[in-house]
Amino acid sequence: MSYIAAGYAIALGTLGVYALSLVRRRRRLEALAARVERDRP
Amino acid sequence: MTVAPWSRRTTLVVRAVGIAALVSVVATLWLGIWVTPPDQVQHDLVRLVYVHPPIAWVALYLAFGTAALASILWLWRRTRSPMWDRLAASAVEVGAVFTALTLVTGSIWGRPTWGVWWAWDARLTSTALLLVMLLGYLALRRVPGDPDARARRCAVAAIIAAVDVPIVHFSVVWWRTLHQGATVLNANLSPTIHGSMAWTLLLGFVAFTLTFVWMLAQRMRIETLSQQLEGAELDEALQERWAEGAPAAASAPARAGAAEAAP
Repeated sequence: MSYIAAGYAIALGTLGVYALSLVRRRRRLEALAARVERDRP
Repeated sequence: MTVAPWSRRTTLVVRAVGIAALVSVVATLWLGIWVTPPDQVQHDLVRLVYVHPPIAWVALYLAFGTAALASILWLWRRTRSPMWDRLAASAVEVGAVFTALTLVTGSIWGRPTWGVWWAWDARLTSTALLLVMLLGYLALRRVPGDPDARARRCAVAAIIAAVDVPIVHFSVVWWRTLHQGATVLNANLSPTIHGSMAWTLLLGFVAFTLTFVWMLAQRMRIETLSQQLEGAELDEALQERWAEGAPAAASAPARAGAAEAAP
């Protein structure tokens, strides 16, 4: 059972972390783009 | 710079895909671990079939198919658009994660069934080569330079890397390998898995496909925003340089006039 648990944990854990990193990167860039737009003369 | 936000419809669609992906992944996990029966030969280890092949399906066929197709569309003059370059780059990054997971989950499955974590057999080696090429593509994208030149060299790299995909697929047919033959996409197209195991495997394919689509949409948005911000930074730098040059240019004729007027 440990191999199965390890397989699922690594696969789903990695995808979860990657998904969160994508959402964070997108939000950070959206905020940056909005700030650039606002500061534009 | 115009920061076009996602339209309400796109936001809703992406969100719906994300929720569907999450629900289907959780359902696959539940069915795969607690509901489906153990296999006669592999016993409980067969439960890894509900994650490993669906992840490999995304890595090899969806991610690489998308990257190769988008690269061809970028290289073809009639259909050339920066969108294809962004799509290819996004598919490669998401594909690299799935390819790494294909190797890791395969290795975890291989240890108890083959007795080794890794073997230099045709399927494993060609998949590892694919991951190396994906990482090479991502490194190539970071090389500074003209965006068109970057898009061109990356498109060529993606197409070269895509040649490895059929080699990975047919490796179990062309060579004697430790890896088993295809369970679903075999030569006769007759799946060698049935009942609740087959349905759970199918759900796994759907779940990871939806996950890939959601990740691709997020990554595309990141790529679009990055390129827009890069362009805005360049515009700003140019404007600063022009502003620095403007007073000097304006004072130059005045200085010339003053010199002429001097006795």
